[in-house]
Amino acid sequence: MLIFKPPIEDTKYLIDEFLDTSELSNIGVFKNMTPDLTDAIFEEAGKISESLLFPLNRSGDEHGCTLDSGNVTTADGFKEAYQEITQAGWGNLTCHEQYGGQGLPHYIANAVDEMMVSGNMSFSIYFGLTIGAYNVIERFASDDIKEQYLPNMVSGKWSGTMCLTEPHCGTDLGLIRSKASPQDDGSYNINGSKIFISAGEHDLTENILHLVLARTPDAPKGIKGISLFLVPKINVSKNGELGKHNNVTCSGIEHKMGIKASSTCAMEFDNSNGVLVGELNKGMKAMFIMMNSARIHVGIQGLAVAHTSYCAAVDYAKQRLQGRALTGAKNPGKPADSLIVHPDVRRMLMTMKAYTEGARALSTWLSFKLDVSHHSPDLIKKQQADQLVSLLTPVFKSFLTDMGETVTSLGMQIYGGHGYIRENGMEQYLRDVRICQIYEGTNGIQALDLVGRKLPAHMGKSLRYFFHPLSTFLEQHADDEQLSVYINPLSKSFFRLQSATLFIAQRSLSNPDEAGAAASDYLKLFGFVAMGYMWAQMAEKSIYHKANMSDEFYDAKLKTGLFYMQRLLPQTGSLLSSIMSGCGNTMSLAETQF
Amino acid sequence: MEIKTVAVIGAGVMGGGIAAQIANAGVKVLLLDIVPKNTDNRSVVAQSAIQKLLKVKPAALMHKRNAKLITAGNLEDNLNDLAHVDWIIEVIIENLDLKQALYKKIDAVRKTSCIVSSNTSTLPLADLAVGLSKSFRHHFLITHFFNPPRYMRLLEIVEGPDTKPGITDTLCHFCDHQLGKGIVKCNDTPGFIANRIGAYWMQTAMLECMRLDLSVDEADAICGRPMGFPKTGVFGLMDLIGLDLMPHILDSMMHSLPKSDAFHEQAHIPDVVNSMISEGYTGRKGKGGFYRLNKSAGKKTKESVDLKTGKYARSETAALDSLKPSIANELKKLVSFDDKGGEFAWSVLSKTLTYSAGLIPEIGDNIEAIDRAMKLGYNWKHGPFELIDKIGVDWFIDKLESKQQPIPAILAAAKNKTFYRFEAGQRQCLNLTGEYRTLKREEGIVLLEDIKRQQQPVKKNASASLWDIGDSVLCLEFHSKMNSIDPDILAMIDTAVAIIPNKYKALVLYNEADNYSVGANIGLALFAANVAAWAQIEAMVKSGQDTYKALKHAPFPVIGAPAGMALGGGCESLLHCDAIQAHAESYIGLVEVGVGLIPAWGGSKEVLTRCMLDPKRAKGPMPAISKAFEIISTATVSTSAAEAKSHLFMAKSDGITMNRERLLFDAKNKALSMLPDYSPIEVEEISLPGATARTALNLAVASFVQAGKVTEYDGVIADQLALVLSGDETDIADLHSEDDLLTLERKAFMALIKQDKTLNRVQHMLETGKPLRN
Repeated sequence: MLIFKPPIEDTKYLIDEFLDTSELSNIGVFKNMTPDLTDAIFEEAGKISESLLFPLNRSGDEHGCTLDSGNVTTADGFKEAYQEITQAGWGNLTCHEQYGGQGLPHYIANAVDEMMVSGNMSFSIYFGLTIGAYNVIERFASDDIKEQYLPNMVSGKWSGTMCLTEPHCGTDLGLIRSKASPQDDGSYNINGSKIFISAGEHDLTENILHLVLARTPDAPKGIKGISLFLVPKINVSKNGELGKHNNVTCSGIEHKMGIKASSTCAMEFDNSNGVLVGELNKGMKAMFIMMNSARIHVGIQGLAVAHTSYCAAVDYAKQRLQGRALTGAKNPGKPADSLIVHPDVRRMLMTMKAYTEGARALSTWLSFKLDVSHHSPDLIKKQQADQLVSLLTPVFKSFLTDMGETVTSLGMQIYGGHGYIRENGMEQYLRDVRICQIYEGTNGIQALDLVGRKLPAHMGKSLRYFFHPLSTFLEQHADDEQLSVYINPLSKSFFRLQSATLFIAQRSLSNPDEAGAAASDYLKLFGFVAMGYMWAQMAEKSIYHKANMSDEFYDAKLKTGLFYMQRLLPQTGSLLSSIMSGCGNTMSLAETQF
Repeated sequence: MEIKTVAVIGAGVMGGGIAAQIANAGVKVLLLDIVPKNTDNRSVVAQSAIQKLLKVKPAALMHKRNAKLITAGNLEDNLNDLAHVDWIIEVIIENLDLKQALYKKIDAVRKTSCIVSSNTSTLPLADLAVGLSKSFRHHFLITHFFNPPRYMRLLEIVEGPDTKPGITDTLCHFCDHQLGKGIVKCNDTPGFIANRIGAYWMQTAMLECMRLDLSVDEADAICGRPMGFPKTGVFGLMDLIGLDLMPHILDSMMHSLPKSDAFHEQAHIPDVVNSMISEGYTGRKGKGGFYRLNKSAGKKTKESVDLKTGKYARSETAALDSLKPSIANELKKLVSFDDKGGEFAWSVLSKTLTYSAGLIPEIGDNIEAIDRAMKLGYNWKHGPFELIDKIGVDWFIDKLESKQQPIPAILAAAKNKTFYRFEAGQRQCLNLTGEYRTLKREEGIVLLEDIKRQQQPVKKNASASLWDIGDSVLCLEFHSKMNSIDPDILAMIDTAVAIIPNKYKALVLYNEADNYSVGANIGLALFAANVAAWAQIEAMVKSGQDTYKALKHAPFPVIGAPAGMALGGGCESLLHCDAIQAHAESYIGLVEVGVGLIPAWGGSKEVLTRCMLDPKRAKGPMPAISKAFEIISTATVSTSAAEAKSHLFMAKSDGITMNRERLLFDAKNKALSMLPDYSPIEVEEISLPGATARTALNLAVASFVQAGKVTEYDGVIADQLALVLSGDETDIADLHSEDDLLTLERKAFMALIKQDKTLNRVQHMLETGKPLRN
């Protein structure tokens, strides 16, 4: 029986003590975010995650979704759980109050998001897509459309999807073929096939709203000729009543490696009626907005599943008796010591713990910056936060999902053969989390976004809002002896990141392949430093600003942080060497030599 | 004979401008015009012309005090004053009778040696000289200046059959050396050289644009930079000249050119242009021209005229396939490209080049003179014959043949050859006889361009080179992008300082780009600053300081020879030279505050020290500090070398060269003149008052901030400058060495470059070329 505990204690610590929210604490809803309230939210979310979602995780994986004449049936228990959760309002935490949402800040909602995903990643996807669709409609659609559709999305009565990918194009959306023909009433008839549509068809809601990328007849070629349309599964009258089916059909569901309980559909639109969202030919702009928030959500998925795997691995390492400690028996009364006495098992557990807690801190911190970018009354701070979030989004998505793969793989490793077989469920986490490195823009694409778009823009301007505060932090603590075991390694890695940045900026001027070949290593280097920044801040607070947590808690933070600085962060050295070696070693073979 | 005083008759825009340029040369000018009716002030026309000279933009005078060299008068009361002048220039209305009547009056009073010239652009010298005395005709010629006379380098000179050679030589010498003009001698034919070809070119471009149905934006994008013509394009140029002027020019050409001249085919003015002129859309001076800035709705929108309807619409960036860099960057590809842009380019270029070639020998037999006239008078990058070489004589002939266009004789004669060639490093051009003639520079003209063809550099890296310019003098040439100072340039200065003492005697900092240097390469610094690489940035600052300090103390003379802009780090290189020999058109200044920084390669130190050591300064350190503060904190840029002396960027003893082509020769001579008994600059320590001075400067700035004249952040920058100039934490009794001041510069620089607002300023400057006021 797998053990799962939502990370309530760590989350409370991050929100109540680690995060400095003073920048927004006098504004609107932020005023109400006192520990009393937020702690209660996390306790409740934890309960839902642990007792409602987690029990459906394994069964969902076993039974998956079934397709029968165009209808998808979700795994047993999903429908009831969906009802219970939406009725309690867990699906609309960040949605506007005017549409029935709770209007909570991202830094609270994303912490809840993590708990829901760690309970059951497949299940959470149905919510995630609805929120993504909500965000696009809320930002870009006309008021009429918003009034017509948003309240039912917020209440959970209707769900949403994003229909981007087509059989011949995924990453390169400029190739999209789906057509939108204008009708006399101002609406459009949509024709085309989409694949890989998460939550494209299911039995959880009475209607599904598809956001579809398509091309109007005289649209310009490529990415500049793509528009976004809202196409409901069932037509909706002006006053919100359901009408006839809209010829949107699910022609198949994918058989996947993981997230089996999430329906991944092939969708056919056959003269389906849709309305334009946003401006004509500006569909990609809306998609980018959606994708940015989706990418943060995917990063959180990496973190969440890593946590789930860690919970089980710790439990197993304590329970499972195998071999004796190298330094002599720790448990002489039993036939063997528990796994946790072994340094190599410790190495794995510490790695899992240091990555997971570091990622959670990064998630909390970045989510709050997202709030600042939306709500700061200071226009300049708002823009700076926006630049920072935009810079770190690809790093966050890739680094946390790579980390998710590493951690779930280690979790399986700790179980040994018992991890590899299906019976114990550890392999499910690895299978589930693996998609995170692929969807919403592969991690390779994230790295290219970072070095090709974010880094050179305005001669590195957005870098400033990460590098400067970190540089100031390091300067401020440069002479602190107690902190030096954290600050010195971080300074060293920071210098490596600076060097790599300037190297790529300069080299890629003469050869763009230099940036391309360095991209993934650079992103990883960036991620290590960003996470190191979080750990150094946690260490600083654990030494000087202890508050409501137990001494044992702070002690664990300091020791885990030290493990990160000394055992994980030094990877920046090898990454820098790889980057500095240039692109020649990667690009020199002729295609025929492969 | 030497020209010591000059009279200009006719105080219009051209007359005033010519008088100003003569005053710029330090020569006294008498400016005369008619006595207007109904006024007591009989010299009011010339007087108000001088007032206008003080205000006109771009400035006609290189220094305000030059206006004092111009004396206003009128043609009745001051006629007799003409008896004392050495040269009289007539710049009155283009009317033969009026001019001749004036010449008779002049002839009655002028001293016999006095030279008389007309600035006519349309009347033949033969007609002007009819009926005048022999002595007058001996001393008479045409001197055709281009507008504005200070800035346009071409001067066309036409001699008559009676003009004495010595007279022409005297005048040419004066106009070359003292007015800085590039002289092209022309035949007495309509429009001389530049306007004959220039007007044909503009008309052709306008008419072909309409025939091929291009927008004015498209036409100017093609018939501009890609073809080596000024980037304004033809329509932008006509807006500058004035649309209403074109009919006059065309009338006079049509009137005087034989019917067989191809000019007649291109002399038609379209109805749409005629109606623009009659409605007052005459160009920049009128309500707008082919372009206008629409300032309605609180925004400035650039609009262009639709040549079919005469209506304005927002200017669109031209998006023709022929404008893609791979095509537009190569003239031959552009004119062969199969779209209307390519067709337009071919049509304008082939007509203009064949017309030019067909004018030989009528307007002159020297192709080099014709090329030079178009380059100096119309700012073409290449003259017509250089353009033919660029696309290839034979290729051009073949293409003309295939299109059944006529082939001028000189072009046919050049078949299988080029118009220019290099033979043993010497530039040669083709004669009418089909032989090559070596082009010799006049004495006193040394160009790096020539030296570079004849030898290998002594040292070279990506951004700078060292050249041996003879007599053991080295020239350090910058050639980075926009001549921005980067680590390679600093390294080359270090190299020069290291090798000169053993093998050479002196160094000249000089290059032949449009601008000496626009400043330090802040693009490099910006990226490093964005990633908080402070140690690296401070090292960059320190390295610039060390290099310039070494330059200053080098055991040999160092001469800075700027032309065009010498800003920021470029200006600082000059401040560390022993002496400067500047082109008159040098624009020197420390503009660092514009990008939120202070001069920190020794610039603040040098300006402060100069102000402190200025013998003219008032007692006590404060007036000197205030002056340095004012110069740097307002990013003062001198608008001429003469003004640079007032700003102390140049010393009184520094030299000014009026003719750009003579600058290197003069700079080298200046270096050689310093060799005997040379000893490096002695460094004087100065005492500074410290915090009290900083407070005083800040108080002054605070009032500007309060009045909204400068931004709050300007105040922050000014405070860091005040920190340096006051000596920071010091006492008046302490002496400050050069190194102390450099340390303060670094401290202030590092404090500023960490600020978000400074980095936004730097970024804005790099991206838009304009300062950001934040």
